[in-house]
Order: sequence, then C-alpha cells, then structure tokens
Amino acid sequence: MAAGRVSDLTPVAVLGVALGGAVIVGFLEQVVAGLRPAPTALFGSANAALHEPLSRPDVRDGWLFHLAPGLLLLAATAALAFVPWAPGFRGIDLSTGMIAFPAALAYVTPAIFMAGWGAGRPLAVVGAFRWLALMLAYAMPLAMVTTAVAAPAGSLRPVDIVDVQHAVPMAIVQPLALVLWVPAILAVCFLRPFDFPQAPGELGGGAFSEYRGLDAALVGLAQRILLVAVSGMTAALFLAGWHGPVLPPALWMAVKTLGVALLLLWAGERLPRPGIDRVVSLAWKVANPLAIVAIAWGGLMTLIFYS
Amino acid sequence: MSNLATALVFWPSTALMLVTGANVFRTSSMARAGLLLLAALGIEGLVFLSLASEFLGVLQLLMMSGEMVIMVFFMVMFMPDPGGLMGMDMTHDKRRAATLAAAVGVGLAVLAVLTDWPARVIGTSAPDVRAIGFEVMGRSMVTFLFAAMTILFAMVGGVLLAKHGGRYGRDD
Repeated sequence: MAAGRVSDLTPVAVLGVALGGAVIVGFLEQVVAGLRPAPTALFGSANAALHEPLSRPDVRDGWLFHLAPGLLLLAATAALAFVPWAPGFRGIDLSTGMIAFPAALAYVTPAIFMAGWGAGRPLAVVGAFRWLALMLAYAMPLAMVTTAVAAPAGSLRPVDIVDVQHAVPMAIVQPLALVLWVPAILAVCFLRPFDFPQAPGELGGGAFSEYRGLDAALVGLAQRILLVAVSGMTAALFLAGWHGPVLPPALWMAVKTLGVALLLLWAGERLPRPGIDRVVSLAWKVANPLAIVAIAWGGLMTLIFYS
Repeated sequence: MSNLATALVFWPSTALMLVTGANVFRTSSMARAGLLLLAALGIEGLVFLSLASEFLGVLQLLMMSGEMVIMVFFMVMFMPDPGGLMGMDMTHDKRRAATLAAAVGVGLAVLAVLTDWPARVIGTSAPDVRAIGFEVMGRSMVTFLFAAMTILFAMVGGVLLAKHGGRYGRDD
C-alpha cells in the first residue's frame, strides 16, 4: 500500500479501540434503557452467552451461518481502522480512506445475507431479504454525502477532511449532508428504528433469530463496533474531529464520538420502526435527489470558501 | 511493500481467487454461486492492493460487495432451483465454452508475457500523469457526464417499466 502508513502497533491499537468502544457502547445502551451502568450485568450476559451451545442449522448452506459473524466483525473492525482518531493515531491512513470506509461497511451486506440464508428458516430469510432492501435504500445517500464532505478538503483522506474543519465544523457548512448521513449510518448498524433484518416483535430476531452462544455474542460485538466506527467517522467528518479548545485532541475526539453514539442510541430508543416499503420509497424519492443537492451545495461552498 | 511481501500476498490470493472463481460454476445453488463470485472478486481487490494499486483495490472491494449480493437476490428470484437442492448444472454448451475460454486465457497470458512493459515507475507528479488528469477532468468530462446521465435515465426507465401497476397508478 503505497500511501498507507501502518505502524507495527496499529493492529493492537485498532483492536483496543474496537473492544474498549464496544464495552462503552454497552454501558451507553444501559443508560439509554434507563438503567444504571452496571459492569456485572454487561459482562454477566456476555459470559452467559458464551456458555450457551451453538445452534447448527441442518441445511446445505449452514456453513454460511457460522461464517457470517466473523465477516461482520471483520467489516466493522476494518471500518473502525479507517477513522482518524487523533493526529498521531489514525489506524490505517489511506489517501482513498473515504472510499475504503464505505468499502468496509459494504461487507456488512453479504454478512447479514449469509446469516439469514444460512439459517434456512423462513423468518431468517425474510430478514436477510429485507436487509437487501434497506441496504439499497441507505447505500447511495451514504456514498454521495461522502463526496460532498470530501470536496472542501479536495482530498479523500479522512485526516485532510478533519484538518479543513479547523475553523468551522462541516456540520455548519453542509447541514443537509449531515441530515442525510445520520439515518444512513443508523441503517448501516441495523440499529433501531432501522432494525429491519432482525425486527424483534415482527420477525422475532429475523436474520439473527437462530444465533446462539459464541455466534450471537460475535454478532452483538460486531454491531457495537460498527456503532463506534460510524460515530467516530461522524465526529471526524462533521464535528471537526479532534479540533477543539483546551482539551487534548484525542479526548475531544472521544467526547464527540461518544456524544454521537449516545444520540443515535437515544433516538433509536424513542423512534418507532417504520414500514420497510416507506423507508425504501423515502430513500429513493427524497433522500437520493437531496443527496445530489448536497453534492452541488458542497461544490458551491468549496468554490466560495475553500479555494 | 517489499517484493517478498507482495509475492506472499499475491500468489496465494491469486490461487484462492481462481479456486473460488472456478467453483462458481461447479455449485448448483444460486446463493452459493453469487457468494463465491463475491469472494473471487473481493480477493481480486486484495490482489490490487498488494500490487500498490490502492484506488482500484478499494473501489473493487466497495463495488463488488453490494453488486454480488444483489445478483444473488435476483438469481434466487428468477432461477427455478435457487437453493440448489436438485443439483442443477451451471454450465452450458460445454465443449465450445471451454475451448473459447482456454483460447482467450492463453491469448491474454501470451500478451502479458510478451508485452514490453515499462520498467520505470512514474510518480503522481510526473507531467504525463498530470496531463491525463486534466484531460479526464476537463474536456473528456462532458463525455463521462453524458454516459452517466444516459445510464441514470436507463435505470429510472427500467424501474418505471418493471414497476407493478406501471403508469396506471400507484401499487401501494
């Protein structure tokens, strides 16, 4: 990788951020649910899950079922690695980082499809197919918004996009892009209200309904790492990343990331799950045209203020 | 990456890519065929990365994931035996297809070996690279935009034609 700088400690550091972030997200979930953050409850339930035997679907494509959590975890951790965390620590720093990040997120799609298809149960397969509809709805606005926020920096390197915001955060320059970005990243994490592939109460767990034991624990871990990755990228792209007064850069980034994660979880707790047809219809008829407007707006702002 | 590291990534990845690619036509299940094709094309993206072709590699990884899963979706919808339970054969017109594939493969391999590739590596600041960049982003952009709009109109038109109910009203 010509432009990538990968130090020897990078894999350890990325895994540390992923696991630490996932635990903190676990606490945030307890706070949002109105409970007091309790480590015993968090680690107790994880420990209980690990002692449960795996379920082995008796279908020909059952091997996909056990491959899916690993792919999900890989996609989430890879996405996290492209987030610029602090001036000295940025995981994998590519000049094409803003393509690499959605590329990593794109592998959530086959993972969830494999989970549902491999389970070989009707509700699981319905969950997998619903996920495809949801993916088609969120992927285009997500990718187009990425172009809009990269324009002022004139670069697809996330670090450059953070640095171009040293005076004004992108959320103020391109509010429309942020409005389109937030639902898309909630959908990427298959979090409420966009939890269509699992849809508790409707599909009873859907694509993940058959998962037990280690498989289920890995899916839960991957989903929390995904939330850390997209919250971190939101902080970096729209909230000026590590720029801020007084506090050290890494702390600013951590505060902003946790703030975004808390806001997303809090919103998900309070919003009802809409019908999948409505979401797809809104995405294609409203969000996609608006994303083209956002790109034009980003170009205009770049011409006026950044060139 | 050093030459050794490149070779260590390149050759096993290429072998795995060929194995998964060949298996696309040996399985009978549409889901398995699509996911194997995704594996082959994803590994191809990793091969691009190992050859320091960062942009191509990342783009390949991004584009193939969604596309291949959508392909699985459509194949499951349209094929008579999506789960591969009846042992359907994926290959057709075997002798001619195999001959043609072998001929094209040998032809490309001969071309790759016999071509006199430039040994010099040109940096991004070389005048030629800049000239190509300005050409692509300048005068040729009109052509690209025209092609892009044509594809967009074709997609919207295709969706409108396929939509249940069509122009006679909403279907919801």
